[in-house]
Amino acid sequence: MNHEPTVPSCHPGGAAVSNPSPTETMVAFTTGLWKQNPVFVMVLGMCPTLAITNSVRNAIAMGLATTFVMASANAFISMVRKMVPKQVRIATYILMIATSVTIVDYLVKAISIPVYKALGPFIPLIVSNCLTLERAESYAGKNPIGKSILDGLGMGFGFTFALTCLGTVREVLGAGTFLGFPLFGKNFEPWVLFLLPPGGFISLAMWLLTFTFWREWSEKRKAARTAAEAAEEIPVEVIL
Amino acid sequence: MSQGTQMMRLLGIVSLLCGLLIVGTQRGTLARIRHNQETIMRESVARLLPGIEKQIIYGIQPSDELTILPNVEASGPRFFAGYDASGRFLGVVVEASERGYADVISAMYSYSPETQTITGFQVIDMKETPGLGNKISSDPGFLENFKQLDATHPITTVTHGAKKNPWEIDAISGATISSRAVGRMLQKSVAAVAPVVQRNLGRIERGQ
Repeated sequence: MNHEPTVPSCHPGGAAVSNPSPTETMVAFTTGLWKQNPVFVMVLGMCPTLAITNSVRNAIAMGLATTFVMASANAFISMVRKMVPKQVRIATYILMIATSVTIVDYLVKAISIPVYKALGPFIPLIVSNCLTLERAESYAGKNPIGKSILDGLGMGFGFTFALTCLGTVREVLGAGTFLGFPLFGKNFEPWVLFLLPPGGFISLAMWLLTFTFWREWSEKRKAARTAAEAAEEIPVEVIL
Repeated sequence: MSQGTQMMRLLGIVSLLCGLLIVGTQRGTLARIRHNQETIMRESVARLLPGIEKQIIYGIQPSDELTILPNVEASGPRFFAGYDASGRFLGVVVEASERGYADVISAMYSYSPETQTITGFQVIDMKETPGLGNKISSDPGFLENFKQLDATHPITTVTHGAKKNPWEIDAISGATISSRAVGRMLQKSVAAVAPVVQRNLGRIERGQ
């Protein structure tokens, strides 16, 4: 299975791209959504993934909060990347990520106090989510501001997508609702296990299995198609 | 300039900018956050005292004296007095909290000084087990306990189906720890607040 990133500058130590083409810019955004999905491929940020996903509403709120943090922290870091000495770069990155998280903390509280209470300590804990520091170190610290923001948005939306997938399974099976709306009749007996911590692990395992099977299947299909095309192109004289 | 000084200067500038951003956001969202907190609190009070049009927040001083608090942000022991459109006193709503199974359960209840009973109960915040302990906020049978719960006698929680007296709370089967936490919460809170309300009833009724 190929887990290598498609953007060469994503690698730590990769060269900075000064004038990215529109295709490269799009790749910076779409990579985090699917090919390098933070949860289903990189398996990062597992703490909020397991703790917050007992409802779709909480999952979306947490995902959007992380998206804002990643996009803004990536923007700040990219802006100062040429001024920051190597020795203090991690301290500077953490400071900027912590600032973004504090801003999100206030914004969520201003938008909805019930959501703020539901997310509890997990908003401040975004600062210790390895995903944010990983993108800061491996991408925003080496790329221009536009691409860094897109990378943050792509990774954030990929994270939101994964959290929503888990939240959907857990809320539908565990409470019989979706976004709070009842889906089944009064006779439905909720599978409470899915709202509890074991349900988080079970749902995550199910999604990881599904995602991995799908990736392997699509890669085999792609390889078979490439082989078929190559066989068609072989000149008749060579076969003879 | 030495490299050390350069690094310190950079970190200082970045810290200053980050501090300014945080303070700016805090100042910018303060009014909205206050408004949200006040709205949630007022809605909770209105649910517990139907017909309420006006409310006054009373703070309880260490000497059991009452003071009128300007907004919901003020901390310390307090209760809400509710009045209808004609200014008639409807009852008080009290905040209470107690350690539950998973974490602290925060709730509000309405108390009628006239009948000396608890007339309503609502959970504000809890982290009790989904499907078991968290039923204390939604189980109709459990919430039925708080329609006329006698507060002249220490409130106790009894096992499901064993309720005999008007001051007893019929626990939820499978959520005994959370049900008992509610009983303890109400017992302690009523013991602390009800005497103060009764002593100052004339003043509260006049809304002074």
